[in-house]
Amino acid sequence: MTNWKALAQARELDIPPAAVEAISPALEGLEQAFRPLLAKLPFTIEPATTLSESAVLGE
Amino acid sequence: MNIAEAAAELRSREVSSVELTQDSLRRIHAEQPRLNAFITITEELALAQAHRADEELARGIDRGPLHGIPYALKDVFATKGIRTTVGSKIFTDHIPDHDSAVYEKLTEAGAVLMGKAGLQEFAYGITCNNPHFGAIRNPHNSACIPGGSSGGSGVAVAADMVFFAMGSDTGGSIRIPATFCGCVGLKPTSGRVSRYGVMPLDFSLDHMGPLTRTAHDAGLVLNAIAGFDPRDDTSSRHPVDSNPNKGLRIGVPQNFYNERVAPEVAAAYVRALGEAESAGATLIPIHVPDPAEINAISRVILLCEASALLEPYLHRRADFGADVLALLDQGRLLPATDYINAQRLRRVYQREWARVWDHVDFVLTPTSPITAPKIGQTTVEIEGVPEDVRLASTRFVRAINVIGLPALSVPLATDSPLPIGLQIIGKPFAEASILALATVLAK
Repeated sequence: MTNWKALAQARELDIPPAAVEAISPALEGLEQAFRPLLAKLPFTIEPATTLSESAVLGE
Repeated sequence: MNIAEAAAELRSREVSSVELTQDSLRRIHAEQPRLNAFITITEELALAQAHRADEELARGIDRGPLHGIPYALKDVFATKGIRTTVGSKIFTDHIPDHDSAVYEKLTEAGAVLMGKAGLQEFAYGITCNNPHFGAIRNPHNSACIPGGSSGGSGVAVAADMVFFAMGSDTGGSIRIPATFCGCVGLKPTSGRVSRYGVMPLDFSLDHMGPLTRTAHDAGLVLNAIAGFDPRDDTSSRHPVDSNPNKGLRIGVPQNFYNERVAPEVAAAYVRALGEAESAGATLIPIHVPDPAEINAISRVILLCEASALLEPYLHRRADFGADVLALLDQGRLLPATDYINAQRLRRVYQREWARVWDHVDFVLTPTSPITAPKIGQTTVEIEGVPEDVRLASTRFVRAINVIGLPALSVPLATDSPLPIGLQIIGKPFAEASILALATVLAK
């Protein structure tokens, strides 16, 4: 489990500890859903920060 | 009355744009205290634009089907000289010095701006329980949310205040108010409608589109606002085509979209599939790329981009609503590597979705697994499982923004006291085909 409070402190984010505690379950749930997907990623795949029409159109 | 009918009456001189605008103003003033659909009502401007529309028609100048038609803009679209709040305290007094591309195009088309519609703060969420401008209420039951973030736009159309309203959709923000309020909502293909001059929530997930009474009307608005714009780096040069394809192969997902659906929604969806088959469609069972996985990617991208965008204001914690602040805090805690990998995964799933179209022309799903929750409700229980209202409401729509596909929500016939929507997902740039199918199903 990620220690979100320690992470916020280390990065000197001005997020009150109680606020970090309140959002920790949501972040933990997201971690559990997202982390396993990384196994799908070959090195050759680049980010799609702006949408590529060729990818969307399957070209 | 819908846009097409009003346009016909304007041209036969049965009604004037000024009369339509005065009717619209009467409806807005009558319903605003109950529903709170608007942040700013542009009465003076509307009457001036309506007079101009009538004068032009009298002189034989016809700007097309939106000429003289009253509408609303979600308060994220910049309007020169008219405050654009983004539903926030931080931008409460913000008056842009330029117009958004969509407002430019609608003005060029002769449409009449009635005002700036309310929304979730910074368009970040789906309840429209706005801490700065008050809760927006569902016209079918004012104790319920309208959906969001384009909630004011959905209410303004569903309560007959305007003929159409513009919304923005980052993870369902056009389609959710469309399904909860009982109107049509179109999220076009990425790049189809310029984002220039719209306050962004997420650079790579935002889409602009109309909410209307009919699918045909949505097509009329789309034709006016679509097209390449060099001021938007993601704007597409793909031609705007209003001719639908003939294909009627409908994909019916056997995964995800049939899980944890409210009984009244499931029943209306099954009926709609039957009607589609009766209308000549071929129903094809399919498995779509896992929307749960794409939803996780969407959340990572949105949390990171929204927090990056609003970083300059995050020291003003007291000026944000609690729900939006909680999301912005989450985004600040995610590592950059997650954001980059989410965008890489996005490309993987775009390729997987592209293969879906080898087998079908459309994919039909419920727009949301639930009907409109109550204002202040934080969880819903479906099949005995409690779920966060925001995550439940967006469960069936969010993934489509990641892929960039066009999708429409159209109201379904139902005995439920609250509206239920059908989501029609189509091939890239196949908006005309989606709208044609929706029109067939509406008959």
